[in-house]
Amino acid sequence: MLNKARTLKDILWFFVFFGLVAGIFRLWFGLGATTNLTDSVPWGLWKVLNMIAGVALSTCGFTIGFLVYVLRVEKFKPLIKPAIFVAFLGYGSSCFALLFDIGLPYRFWHPLFMWNEHSFLFEVFWCVMLYFSVTFIELMPNILEKYKLKKTVGFLHKITIGVVIIGISLSTLHHSSLGSLFLITPYRLFPLWYSSLLPVYFFTSAAGCGIMFLIFVKILYSKLYNPVSVFGEQTNGKVPVVCSLNRNDGNTATKEYGKDMPMLSSLSIVGASLLAIYLILKIYDLFRLNLFNTLLIGTWESWIYILELLLTAVLPLVLVIIKKSRRSPYGLGTATFSASLGLALNRLDVGIIGYFRDAGSAYFPSLTEWALGIGVIAAAALVFLFVAENFSIFDEQWKVYKINKGIFKASFDTINRVWQAALHSGLQRTTIIGVFVLPIAFVLMYPQYKSDKGIYVVPASGLNTIRSILIINANTPGMSTEFPHLKHQETLGKEQSCIECHHISLPDDKSTPCSRCHRKMFEKTLIFNHEMHKGWVAADRQIPGLQPENKTCAICHLPGLPKDINSAVGCMECHKEDIHVANTLNLPKQFLYADSYFYVMHKRCIGCHQERKQGVNKPNLDQCSNCHQSYYTQYETKKELYGSLASD
Amino acid sequence: MEQWIEFAKGPLFAFTFLIMILGLARHFIIQFYSIFISKGKQLKNVSWRKIFSDMFSWVVPVKHLIKGTRIFSTVSFIFHVAAILVSVFFIDHIVLWQNYLGIDLPSIGRALADILTLVVIGCILVLIACRIFVRRQREMRRKSDYVLLIMVLLPFLFGFLAGHPAINPFPWNTAMLIHILSGEALFVVIPFTKLSHIVLYFFDRLSVVHWQLKPGAGDKVAKALFGEEAKV
Repeated sequence: MLNKARTLKDILWFFVFFGLVAGIFRLWFGLGATTNLTDSVPWGLWKVLNMIAGVALSTCGFTIGFLVYVLRVEKFKPLIKPAIFVAFLGYGSSCFALLFDIGLPYRFWHPLFMWNEHSFLFEVFWCVMLYFSVTFIELMPNILEKYKLKKTVGFLHKITIGVVIIGISLSTLHHSSLGSLFLITPYRLFPLWYSSLLPVYFFTSAAGCGIMFLIFVKILYSKLYNPVSVFGEQTNGKVPVVCSLNRNDGNTATKEYGKDMPMLSSLSIVGASLLAIYLILKIYDLFRLNLFNTLLIGTWESWIYILELLLTAVLPLVLVIIKKSRRSPYGLGTATFSASLGLALNRLDVGIIGYFRDAGSAYFPSLTEWALGIGVIAAAALVFLFVAENFSIFDEQWKVYKINKGIFKASFDTINRVWQAALHSGLQRTTIIGVFVLPIAFVLMYPQYKSDKGIYVVPASGLNTIRSILIINANTPGMSTEFPHLKHQETLGKEQSCIECHHISLPDDKSTPCSRCHRKMFEKTLIFNHEMHKGWVAADRQIPGLQPENKTCAICHLPGLPKDINSAVGCMECHKEDIHVANTLNLPKQFLYADSYFYVMHKRCIGCHQERKQGVNKPNLDQCSNCHQSYYTQYETKKELYGSLASD
Repeated sequence: MEQWIEFAKGPLFAFTFLIMILGLARHFIIQFYSIFISKGKQLKNVSWRKIFSDMFSWVVPVKHLIKGTRIFSTVSFIFHVAAILVSVFFIDHIVLWQNYLGIDLPSIGRALADILTLVVIGCILVLIACRIFVRRQREMRRKSDYVLLIMVLLPFLFGFLAGHPAINPFPWNTAMLIHILSGEALFVVIPFTKLSHIVLYFFDRLSVVHWQLKPGAGDKVAKALFGEEAKV
């Protein structure tokens, strides 16, 4: 029992450490370097999974509060503490994840003072913030009970009912508002998910799935710490049989499940009826908007939609309606897990996946995003386990679970002893996970270690053998440029002018193409081949010996200094004869990196055109349209077209 | 080959170096934590000043140099000083410090570094010989003693060869790669073997904590280390 909890904690710590590194990298390097978000898909995993789905799964705080305090269903009273605690953790972790997702995290307080009352997000911010405070106030008595603060606890108990009602109104407001957020995207969101009923969907599904999620958490907690209360007395490791007709006669060996099961199964009926409303609304909407064609057309969106609906509503409903599965923790666990999963999938669909077709590109979260998203959830789960073990949230059993926290010396000995010591106490165990996971996370997510993903340049293609006209960068449709090569040669002064553009050539070459060195579109290219130079220099100088390459260091690197670029001689010291270099450019001593193609082409062309536009009396020579004629001509034809239309 | 060297100098170096730093920091934190716990119990009457002076007073083993295991102590003391000086303050390593962490350190000269490297290699050979030929040490030897000494030897040996290409029988790239990889292997094993004495030396054997144990503490340690059944 405790071993299970410990293994679970180890796994959770693994994710927490991974997420820690991811969070630091996100703050250090920024969103662009660490996430796969683009302008076409700007809402990613953190916002949709952690914030929207996370908040939706923690609705149990207000639904159970409504059932117990407003409707006075005393049956569910034991669940009020866990419900509030789950809500607190859900909202807390959501807000924490959101801190990393907003561009400037230190400005999270801006909506408090800079009001934008036209924005749904403004309302969501206020409601989430206030409701988080509400759950905190509701939670405090349970925590403070342990510390004998009777006055404070008494005061908090007095205001509970008012606070609960405020919480219910706030939740109703912001859960529907989260749906209303997406009402502004009627043309972007895939039609299956877009509906004017989105606020209602969001509210009903969140309320239903929130209740289901609480049942799931309760079952999970019991599995780890207190199996008797839900699973019943287990004998011989066999699953006890439930619900036999002759349960009451004492002769049969059948066993009941635990004492909490009736409460959970009747609560599941409440959740399932909310999900039934959701399902009916969804089906009604299919008729209303006449979406059956889209649903059955067989695109991947429609399959995801069907899967989502099955997971969220159909499977839980079926499992809850069947009496046998409703009364067994396994059936109920499956139903509630499926509902929670379906809800998360639904929010992902509405927030991310539904936009792929419109954006024309798919978004898959980067490792950093996964790590931080899962890490925050794992951290919340660890807090949950800590509180469950140390405070009376679920039951009074927590006193039993105090683990022996003995501390002893780390061993000064062989590897085996270290492991023995490491696996014993919590601190040792957690830190040793950190020692291994943090470096792995660092290396895997450090942006500079990522594989080279630069866009390579397609060489300019000549239209004829004398290359009178070159098509430059034909790898982006509609963005290519026709470069009058022959015309430039003639205007600039024939053979002698080559060097003005072909400013450095490869050895024994006179007109190396631009893309030969400036190989990447937006990144620098390393053009110096150090490894081959050792062999070339050794062959050139005819150095004798077993490893002649070893004796070439001192030929290029000055003696007595570290062997790096600063101590190396310039390229032209050796390549005086065979490399042709333009004197006009400020070139470094060593030709190590070539700038990005995009940068150098614009710099070279625009610079020269700016200088010459007065001399040749062409004021538009340095304008974009002078070279990017495709744009210019398109614009002209359109103008003619629209002009003629207007005159008609 | 140079891509391999770049990989070894980049991600692999960061990975192994972080394992070493975090592993040693872990030892440090846990040890200090345990001292804090014992400060409230069995070390109540011992001042922090005494604890720290005890920790550091054995760093220079003057007593052992005068009497006792004279050769072994002298050689190992020289070995430690030389190894730390060379590995941290060697000029090419200072460039690494600068590039990775932006730390400016003074450098020992190339000539001194060469001499110290040879001293380190010599000392390791003497220490291995001590393990083999001195009776007192032979009786308490373990396989890991030899393995660790050879693991320490490799980076110094191949670093020296890479620094002197003229006498290097291997290609420079090979020597450099072995130098880097063996150093990184050393980083990984440091926190988990005897080599963790980099940090634990100050805590484990010499700290006042260990001389003021309660009666019956040995049984508790044995229970913690070997489980319920074992007895000291």
